[in-house]
Amino acid sequence: QVSVLYFARSAELAGLRCETLSVPRQITSLQLWEEIVRLHPRLAVIRDQVVFAVRQEYVLLGDQLLVLQPGDEVAIIPPISGG
Amino acid sequence: MDESEDVPKDFIKLKSEKLSVDEVSELVISPYCGAVSLFIGTTRNNFQGKKVIHLEYEAYTSMAETEIKKICRDVRQKWPSVKHIAVHHRLGVVPITEASVIIAVSSPHRAESLEAVMYCINTLKASVPIWKKEIYEDEYSWKENKECFWANSEK
Repeated sequence: QVSVLYFARSAELAGLRCETLSVPRQITSLQLWEEIVRLHPRLAVIRDQVVFAVRQEYVLLGDQLLVLQPGDEVAIIPPISGG
Repeated sequence: MDESEDVPKDFIKLKSEKLSVDEVSELVISPYCGAVSLFIGTTRNNFQGKKVIHLEYEAYTSMAETEIKKICRDVRQKWPSVKHIAVHHRLGVVPITEASVIIAVSSPHRAESLEAVMYCINTLKASVPIWKKEIYEDEYSWKENKECFWANSEK
C-alpha cells in the first residue's frame, strides 16, 4: 500500500489530493500510471506532461521498474512553475 | 554559539506570509563576505494580453525543500567560496507586484555570489516541485516553466 499525492492540475482532475493505493511491490512506472488512471480517468489528458516522484525522486513514465515499500509516497508531478 | 566561526549555512523557507527582502539579505550577511547578491521574483499583472488578478502557488513541500537543499549543495561545489545561501518561496495567494521568491547568496567577492544566484533561480525553475496558477478575470491557468526538464514545450 502506497500513498499517492496529487498536485496542481492533477489534483483538480482527480478531485483529491491524497489517497492510499494497493499495488504490487514491483511495478513499472507506466503500469502504476495506468492503475491510477483506471481510478481517475480524467487524468488521462495529462499523461504526456507528468512524471512521478517516488520517495521524492523523479521517475519518468515508462519501463522503469519500481520497487515499492508499504507507506512509500508516490506523487503525480505536473509540469512545474516555481520561482 | 560562536558567531566568529560563521559556518556556511543554507536558509530555506516555504511560507504563505509576505516575503521580506531585508530579512532574507540579513540572513546571508557575513563579516567575511564583501558581496551579497539578490534575486527577487515578483508577480506581473499581465500575460498574453490578459489581466492577471493574482497568483496562487502550491508545493510538494517536503520534496521542494529537499530539492532546494540539493541546489545549495551544487552551488557550494561549483562556487566553493560561497558563504551563506537563503531561498524563501511564498506559497498560497501572492498579489501583483509582491515577491514570490527571494534568493540571496553571500561570498567574499562578487563574481561567485552573482553567478550562484543565477544558477539557483534557473535550477529552481527546472527542478523544484512548486506550481503557479495565474488567476485572470474570468479563468485561470496552471503555468509551466520552459525549464521544466520533462515537459514538452508545444504551446
